[in-house]
Amino acid sequence: MAKKQPSIDTKNLTAVQLMELDSCTRCGECVKWCPTYAASGQKPGLAPRDKILRWREFMNKSYGVKAKLFGPTEISGAELEEFKDDVHGCTTCGICATVCESGINTVEIWESIRANLVKKGIGPYGKQSMFPKLVNQYNNPYLAAPEDRLKWIPDDVKIAEKANILYFGGCTAELRQTKLAVATARVLNKLGIEFTMLGEEEWCCGSAMIRTGQPHIEDIARRVAEHNVDAIKATGATKVLYACAGCFRASKVDWPRQLGEELPFEVIHITEFLADLIKKGQIKWVKSLDKAITYHDPCHLGRHVGVYDAPRYVLGNIPGVKFVEMDRVKEFQRCCGAGGGVKAGIPDLALGVAETRVEDALATHADILSSACPFCKRNLQDGTDSLNKKNTAGADKLEVEDIIVLVAEALGLEVIGD
Amino acid sequence: MAYFSGLSDALRITFVQMMIVSFIAMVIFVYGMIINLQKWGAGVTGYALEPEVGSKGSAIRFLKTWWKQVTEESHHGHGKPILEILVLDILFQRRILKRSPVRWFMHFTIFAGWMTLFAMSGMMFAVEMTERFIELPFTAAQFREVLQIPNDIFGYILLVGVLIAIARRLFIKEVREASIMYDWILIGVVFIVTVSGFVADGIRTGDIVWNIGMSGDTAMAYAPPAALFHSVISLLFCIAFIPYSKYIHIIATPLAILANKGGE
Repeated sequence: MAKKQPSIDTKNLTAVQLMELDSCTRCGECVKWCPTYAASGQKPGLAPRDKILRWREFMNKSYGVKAKLFGPTEISGAELEEFKDDVHGCTTCGICATVCESGINTVEIWESIRANLVKKGIGPYGKQSMFPKLVNQYNNPYLAAPEDRLKWIPDDVKIAEKANILYFGGCTAELRQTKLAVATARVLNKLGIEFTMLGEEEWCCGSAMIRTGQPHIEDIARRVAEHNVDAIKATGATKVLYACAGCFRASKVDWPRQLGEELPFEVIHITEFLADLIKKGQIKWVKSLDKAITYHDPCHLGRHVGVYDAPRYVLGNIPGVKFVEMDRVKEFQRCCGAGGGVKAGIPDLALGVAETRVEDALATHADILSSACPFCKRNLQDGTDSLNKKNTAGADKLEVEDIIVLVAEALGLEVIGD
Repeated sequence: MAYFSGLSDALRITFVQMMIVSFIAMVIFVYGMIINLQKWGAGVTGYALEPEVGSKGSAIRFLKTWWKQVTEESHHGHGKPILEILVLDILFQRRILKRSPVRWFMHFTIFAGWMTLFAMSGMMFAVEMTERFIELPFTAAQFREVLQIPNDIFGYILLVGVLIAIARRLFIKEVREASIMYDWILIGVVFIVTVSGFVADGIRTGDIVWNIGMSGDTAMAYAPPAALFHSVISLLFCIAFIPYSKYIHIIATPLAILANKGGE
């Protein structure tokens, strides 16, 4: 008789991650803070603590003492399918890791488990499965032709062939939220910063595939990282600017991992770059905004890589800005709900999380809810619209806008685009 | 050998009995840890990798992967010096304090009480063993007297923590509803071991709070089995049971905090 095989394997799960499952003390802090658990009406399966417990039990059934002595215990397909649904109901915002008393790096465990299950043919979730196919075919997830990446560029914007600084626009800003790309380019021009771009040679950063457990499909995440890094190297740029938190995180954390080497250029978020210029006195503001502005930390810019102060510094320096903080900010920020493939896979859940975050903003009585990420902007806008439809007080007056667009306005620039 | 009894020859728990129980506890512990290390070592050695075909879980692989992660640079922009992590995050348990001062007090008293009593039991054992071969400037009985007050103090510190832990699980609705057998067994066992220690000591010394009404000949008769009971469950539950229960966090949590450079 053939020896019974474990129902799960350990692909993508590091030895340390498997140990981390046993380090959970079930204190419940992650449950208190999890935005999707709250927005789902406290669905037990979405609680990070529950996911840790279940995967630990799966491991013990497959590789624990009893499995060693008597053979593995079978885990049903339904159990794994249910687990898949729950592990994809996470925006990978990372608040569970921040508050974890055992210091567990939960986000990377969820991403590893997602990839593990996808390799087993379980998952991803809903429309998320389209990401690798689309990026493979179009080099972006929006079915756009490579030349479409250039359509947002107004005639007045000057982009050098080669420069020390490169602006990596990102698929969403170049193909959907073009206002963000236009604002960034015009701000750089206005400040006399010579910069270049990859144009048609810019490919998706790979974040969508990595977050949803599909980086291995046709080696897509490594291939896009390699292509982008080679293309950037070819321009001779030594500093790469990002106005998209997702691309920024992917470049800073995921690309070196995918390629197994450090990047030959510096990865800088546009707010860090602008903050530096403000400190050097190199920005001359033109217009006073005269608005109360609050700031939502994008998870990929804040908790994932620790950029909290630069966006606040920039906003605080714009003339006429009364900066107000929301209740949950910086490392304890509440996610907007768009990340981790949730917007694409479970839009209702994403909207529920967004509404809660917009309510945080409404409580500050700010005129503008700003952020530094196109995904946050889109989902927070959706949340605002939804609350507006529900006649929530103040939602009709709240404007959602990216920091770079506000900077452009304060520099007296016209900002066009979607 | 007077280990743990402290009474006359007739009432001693023999050295052989304790050694056998200790040996069994250690064997069960080591076996469980090997299985756990192999289970952890069934994981891959780095980001997005797959285990080699036919490879089995390996304790060495786990240790190598863990050490590599401890020593490599973090791309996430956070990471604290190892000494700071050891002192503030592992010994002082700063991460718990940041989240909940009450839960920190509960956990820290259990940790401090438990570890100190464990260390003092180890010292007592070491003195009794050493005394057999080398003449010490003091006797084991004198050393036991020295440890009596610290034992009491840290025993009560432990008891306070355990009682807070039980009260939380019983009386705070969200904690009670989230508790599973995995949690209850841990806290139940700690409670039984702690109380049995007080009772064994109370019967032996005639402490009016903990002697459960025993004195004179009755106490003389029940002191050894009470001490034996406490010693055996301490060894079995506090050593042997570690790899098979929530106790594993005693080992895994410090390793996780170190691997993640103090956590986010």
